[in-house]
Amino acid sequence: MDDATKLEQLVDYIMQNCLWQFNSRAKDRRKQNVGVLTKTAQILCDEPVDNPTPLDKCYWVDAVCLARAYRERYPWLATMDKTAIKTLMQKLHERMDWLTIDGSLNEELTVQHY
Amino acid sequence: MPYHEFECSKVIPERKQHAVIKGAGEDLTSCLPKGYLNTIPGSISERGCAYCGAKHVIGTPMKDVIHISHGPVGCTYDTWQTKRYISDNNNFQLKYTFATDVKEKHIVFGAEKVLKQNIIEAFKAFPEIKRMTIYQTCATALIGDDIEAIAQEVMDEMPDVDIFVCNSPGFAGPSQSGGHHKINIAWLNQKVGTLEPKITSDYVINYVGEYNIQGDQEVMLDFFKRMGIQVLSTFTGNSSYDDLRGMHRAHLNVLECARSAEYLCDELRARYGIPRLDIDGFGFEALGNSLKKIGLFFGIEDRAQAIIDEETAKWKPQLDWYKERLQGKRVCLWPGGSKLWHWAHAIQAEMGVKVISVYTKFGHQGDMEKGISRCGEGALAIDDPNELEGQEALRMLKPDVIFTGKRPGEVAKKMRVPYLNAHAYHNGPYKGFEGWVRFARDIYNAIYSPIYQLSGVDISKDEIATDKGFVTRRMLSDAGLSDEIKSLPTLTEYTGKYDCVTDLRGRTYPDFERKTAATAAE
Repeated sequence: MDDATKLEQLVDYIMQNCLWQFNSRAKDRRKQNVGVLTKTAQILCDEPVDNPTPLDKCYWVDAVCLARAYRERYPWLATMDKTAIKTLMQKLHERMDWLTIDGSLNEELTVQHY
Repeated sequence: MPYHEFECSKVIPERKQHAVIKGAGEDLTSCLPKGYLNTIPGSISERGCAYCGAKHVIGTPMKDVIHISHGPVGCTYDTWQTKRYISDNNNFQLKYTFATDVKEKHIVFGAEKVLKQNIIEAFKAFPEIKRMTIYQTCATALIGDDIEAIAQEVMDEMPDVDIFVCNSPGFAGPSQSGGHHKINIAWLNQKVGTLEPKITSDYVINYVGEYNIQGDQEVMLDFFKRMGIQVLSTFTGNSSYDDLRGMHRAHLNVLECARSAEYLCDELRARYGIPRLDIDGFGFEALGNSLKKIGLFFGIEDRAQAIIDEETAKWKPQLDWYKERLQGKRVCLWPGGSKLWHWAHAIQAEMGVKVISVYTKFGHQGDMEKGISRCGEGALAIDDPNELEGQEALRMLKPDVIFTGKRPGEVAKKMRVPYLNAHAYHNGPYKGFEGWVRFARDIYNAIYSPIYQLSGVDISKDEIATDKGFVTRRMLSDAGLSDEIKSLPTLTEYTGKYDCVTDLRGRTYPDFERKTAATAAE
């Protein structure tokens, strides 16, 4: 399986099953993407995850569930080394930022107030 | 952009940007209709108004409150005959509805005097109720009545009462969603933080965007209580006014309907640092994941897992009985807002149906982002449809069933498309594991109702077979099933009771020892 297909599967799972990526404002979407996907990458690479604040803990909760789902559904993850996983997760992060923020057609993302 | 132009709306060219068909390879950067804009003149919208969105959707589910509309009596129309947000105090908020009955003379001379008189009369008529919400309407907004000042006068004269004022007249937004926004922010600014709640658990949440439709909230509260979680407030279904004043003390905001209540969660996150966790209460997997996430947050995931295991073992075989009979059925998922994304993936994955169209009356582009993401290729997504577009879509798509509100639902029935009430439900609750089976049961009953076969026969000209008996629902549903599936002993129809909510109210829950109390004792 090529990297593009792997990436597509990871993106597809998030878009079908998750809600954290769809906060209503761009600034919050960026924070959510950073928070959840950074921690997911750390979990998939068996690195320690630091959760100093309740907000961090909330990102971690979604990250744990996402990492579990990825490991369960995509056995090819277990065949990748940690560097390759990090690279793939970085591409996933960039793709999610594009789909939900930078390339989004949602005109409410830049509204200043909630 | 894969816009879809309806034949009936060619005379309203702006409508073209409000419908898309998701094509191969399309994603949200190329396929998203406009949303949350003023309805285009000439298009007869199915939307409600901002007053309706504030009062009838969000305010009135609060249970121990006199809800009064400052305006003509007709503004109070939506109550127990159209709304099904029940409560455990004998449905006070549904049974009694109040208006100041504003007439022409009040428009000319002012309606503040009649407002004050009504407030006092209502409190005297129901002396056990000490809380009130007042809703501005179009007429009294235009004449400039100062509701806040009158409410303050009454509170000064009657110190044991508390009054919330919602200034969301019907014209205060493109749709009911404008009212959702206004009441969210008004409640936060006026009432949150004005009462200190009693904390009884180490794990404290607000359950936000949940309106107890046919008992949804009570089903979810049962799960939370079984996990030892204190639900400080529910915004707003079956919730107490005073509980909602103490929202600022929760550790976590668990958000269900983001469409109607995300503003509150976002502000609580910004002002009080309370995290927002979005969940799905619909569907076995989504609900299970939601409970696990809340459990993970508090370090009590094992309690969530125990509930999931117990409930899944009991209800999954019954869900699967319906799944076998609903495979491939084509669904138009046309609710008001959030259910288009709450349900789109879960009904396809767990009931075997195919969502061929989503629409939203008052959703924003954010709702369409979620809904379109959860649909497959070829799905038609429509924002703020008018009735002619709805009919054209039904003729084009030929769905097996439609989930929508009662007004478009009745139109669909006349077009011989079975309809389920997506707002108030048919035989809910639909949340929870048992609730999800009830939803599948209702879908099954709608699709296979023999009336839809009979209604296609025109007795004035069609030949009526006299050698055949009545075809039952089960005969219709099982006609294409294999003998193996039909005879599987593990799969059974829904076995729950007609009322699965009332018993929850008397349930006792485990008394989990508090960590903080134990620490203090040491």
